[in-house]
Amino acid sequence: MRNSKKGTLSITLYILFVILFLLFTLGPIAWSFSLSITPASDLSPESPILPENPTGENFKELLSSKNQQGGIFLKGLRNSLIAGLLSILIGIPIAILTAYPLARMKFKGRQLVKNLLLITMVIPVFATIIPLFRIFTLFNLIDNMVGLVIIYVTSFLPLSVWLITSYFETLPRELEEAAIVDGCGRFMVLLKIIIPVSYPVIFAATLIVFLTTWNQYLIPLILAPSYATKPIAVVVSEFVTKTSINYGLMNAGGILAVIPPAILAVVFRKFLVKGMVSGATKG
Amino acid sequence: MKKIIVLMLAIALMVTMFAGCTPKASEDAVEDVADVKEETEAAEPAAVEAQEITFMIPPWGEPSAEALAAFTAETGITVNLNIVGWDEIRDKISIAAVSETAPADVVEVDWSWIGEFYAAGWVDVLEVSDADKADMPTLTSFMAEGNVLALPYANDFRIGYYNTDDFDAAGITEIPADWDAMVEAAKAIKASGACEYPIGFTVSATEACTTSVIWMTMAYAGDFFNADGTLNSANLLKTLEFINKIVKEDKLVDPTMVSMTDKEIYGTFLSGDTATIVGPTYVLGRMANPELSAVVDSSKAMLIPGRADAATTSFALPEGIGVTAYSENKEAAIKFVEWFTSPETQLSLYETQGLIPTRNSVLQQLIDDGKMTNGDVLMAQSAAIKPAFPAGIPNWYSEMSAAIYNAVNEMVTSDLTPAEAMDQIHTKVDGIEK
Amino acid sequence: MRFKDRSLPYFMLLPMIAIMLGLVYYPIAMTFTYSTRNMILTKPKEAGFIGFKNYFKLLQDPDVGKAFFNSLYILVLVIVLTIIIGLLFALLLKRDTKIKGALTAIAIIPWALPPIVNGVMWRWVFHPSYGIINKILALQGSMDEPIMWLTEKWLVLSIVALVAAWRSIPLACVTFLATLQSIPDHLYESACIDGCNKFAEFRRITLPLLRPAMGIILTTTSISAINVFDEIVTLSGFGNATKTVMVETYMRSFKFLNFGEGSALIYLAMIATSIFGIFYARSVYKEVEYL
Repeated sequence: MRNSKKGTLSITLYILFVILFLLFTLGPIAWSFSLSITPASDLSPESPILPENPTGENFKELLSSKNQQGGIFLKGLRNSLIAGLLSILIGIPIAILTAYPLARMKFKGRQLVKNLLLITMVIPVFATIIPLFRIFTLFNLIDNMVGLVIIYVTSFLPLSVWLITSYFETLPRELEEAAIVDGCGRFMVLLKIIIPVSYPVIFAATLIVFLTTWNQYLIPLILAPSYATKPIAVVVSEFVTKTSINYGLMNAGGILAVIPPAILAVVFRKFLVKGMVSGATKG
Repeated sequence: MKKIIVLMLAIALMVTMFAGCTPKASEDAVEDVADVKEETEAAEPAAVEAQEITFMIPPWGEPSAEALAAFTAETGITVNLNIVGWDEIRDKISIAAVSETAPADVVEVDWSWIGEFYAAGWVDVLEVSDADKADMPTLTSFMAEGNVLALPYANDFRIGYYNTDDFDAAGITEIPADWDAMVEAAKAIKASGACEYPIGFTVSATEACTTSVIWMTMAYAGDFFNADGTLNSANLLKTLEFINKIVKEDKLVDPTMVSMTDKEIYGTFLSGDTATIVGPTYVLGRMANPELSAVVDSSKAMLIPGRADAATTSFALPEGIGVTAYSENKEAAIKFVEWFTSPETQLSLYETQGLIPTRNSVLQQLIDDGKMTNGDVLMAQSAAIKPAFPAGIPNWYSEMSAAIYNAVNEMVTSDLTPAEAMDQIHTKVDGIEK
Repeated sequence: MRFKDRSLPYFMLLPMIAIMLGLVYYPIAMTFTYSTRNMILTKPKEAGFIGFKNYFKLLQDPDVGKAFFNSLYILVLVIVLTIIIGLLFALLLKRDTKIKGALTAIAIIPWALPPIVNGVMWRWVFHPSYGIINKILALQGSMDEPIMWLTEKWLVLSIVALVAAWRSIPLACVTFLATLQSIPDHLYESACIDGCNKFAEFRRITLPLLRPAMGIILTTTSISAINVFDEIVTLSGFGNATKTVMVETYMRSFKFLNFGEGSALIYLAMIATSIFGIFYARSVYKEVEYL
């Protein structure tokens, strides 16, 4: 769709679609927000769409660390942030390290390794969670943040490697060949030449890694039972008391939980698009 | 570009350092969760024999920090709390069992899990004095073949609730004593316009629906399970017919309740949209709380309506704690279990978490002290509690429950007749390899 | 030098291989052994190797067939919704306006929601009595009885698909956007010298060039569609009619404690998914050369 005509019809359509877009994307979140400012006693099938007595109680409760729920929530937030960071620190180097040989080096079993890596994307969490628990208990890794992160790595590694490999493949070989002629070892080539040029795809992969880690629920549910490592997704789902499910807190928690990754997404969005190009055009 | 990367790496490094890249992150947990605990007690060799146990419990069973501190001071045992959602506890225990370990030394044991846990050998048998057995009548729910597998810490039994405004509007002066009278009252309320769907009942495809079917059968028809451990089909059929009637024929139950969890249904009572429910004892506390309820002045408790030969029957759904079979700190665990179910702790749990005590002595004390509202109804209902499974809970409870709630849910959302629903349940239950 | 160069790739791949072998391949091998055993935790005495009996039992169980069908329905619907809406949004975002940046950021937000939170949020949208959709419809006066979004089988499955698609659309949108932006303008210009309209141009030029993007999108979307679990349970519980393969696996393993059957079912699901994967790979993976 090209931009040559700026007729009023075109603009009107555009605005219409933007409104639909916003409704679709932000609508449910807006409703969730409305619920989070509704006091518990007003929550009823007959209650109106906009709460009559909005209250900031839920948010206050979640953000104050003295409060029991607040303490838990903030800890969950902290854990998710740490997990995300660790995922990036551990996962991206491994992804890059894996992508380079697959993109550039010839060796026996290259296609096999590629395929074996991609195939693991198919495996659902349920298939591995029980043996993983066994392994973790054996090595005393339950409740260990690093152990958790390494499992997350297995979940986002295939996609990240796929993207980065595609990107590497589009880089002109002259870059490396020049360096090798100068006597640079292959590994140095990777470090000093390839990586600096690949920052779009690395940022894209970083964003994907962070979001995937942020969304983890089942794995930490089983392998991170204590508040020391519980991520935000698990915490929010547990705002259940014996007497009720505290929907106000849950909705408030959900909204707060979206904020850090949303910020990251906003900051990184340009890179995400740039980084996806190679993967999207080479497949 | 470089600067940004360096900056980010620096931040990342700092955060990781704060996170403490030490293998055991549980040091953190110990510190954060119970402030007053002696943290490094277990790590440092101290004069007192310091033991450590892990306690896995849902959020509502968390003891106060002071209480835990007192326990540790008295016994030298440090307690690591694992607060886990109720649904997930069972998953965790079963996953750990595959690896022949336990997720904790002391775990929550729900009454419905006893059959399975006993068959799978996941909890140890506990020694309980006769005095304690008498003081905790719900202990029977946690026994299998005469062995006590867990001690109850939170009581919960079904009791009736009604909205006085709705009843007044319909001109009802006497609380219905049996279900036919209740249906008449509901019809009157509906006719008066005070409430369109007066009766609240769980009919969704969830475990809570089975629970509703159980208490309904016991109150309306008779035994749910026979003394020989088989399902009483005749009584269940009567219940199914009754549910069919009030939902599909008389339209006394809100059709959208097929999607509601039981907690949401109790919520409709608290918001004044339902006139009467039979619910857990904790609704008492909630309905009196102006922050949570819109019916503070118009809600009351009542005995569950019964039938000719049994004025009222209820059944208990207590929660207990037990010592896992794979635990490596059994002595300490047993001491904790006893402490957690002692009268003082039960009192403290009532005050901090609102959990109804399981010891009659404590219950009576609270009522005498005036700390428990609607106490007379509570005691009267409590006297009419019968076990739903006289021969013990079967280890195929889960499969049966799934069969029941699916059948009921289908019955109220389609043309399935009660008889057909009963057949469906039969086929499924007979097909279970027992 | 020679040896170092030749073995370098293997060294570089070592971390990945170690992690994948230890934390993925070994566990699924273990799960396979579970699937060939009679592993019902409440009957520890009956444990033992039983070959493929679990598989046969599952293949003959009508509930399993229903579950696969439901999963398939959700899969197809999610893919259709994700691709169509993702593409539409990408086209929208391609247009260079002042708010383009903001819109892109907003498009990514649904991705940031953990699935369980997503499930709860949508439950409150479609709840027959508390949900906003029915409230709006009631306000309008266009319905007498609330629509039972969460119990009518086809409605529930469609809503689950919608919810899963909503979560997958950001990635699809961004991928499409990237592709669209990389199509050189002169392609369109040269085609339009001979006169053309927007639709033809879209069909003849844009669509074929989007093919590789479809590869990534189809794969990631399918995988997340098959793995939908939290959202289904939050929206419709464990009802018989709306069970998917994942829910059925969970019930057999964790509710009925029959890990043998649960593991076998997971393997059947993986086999089914792999068949799809091969199908995609054949029909979509074609590199498109353009100047």
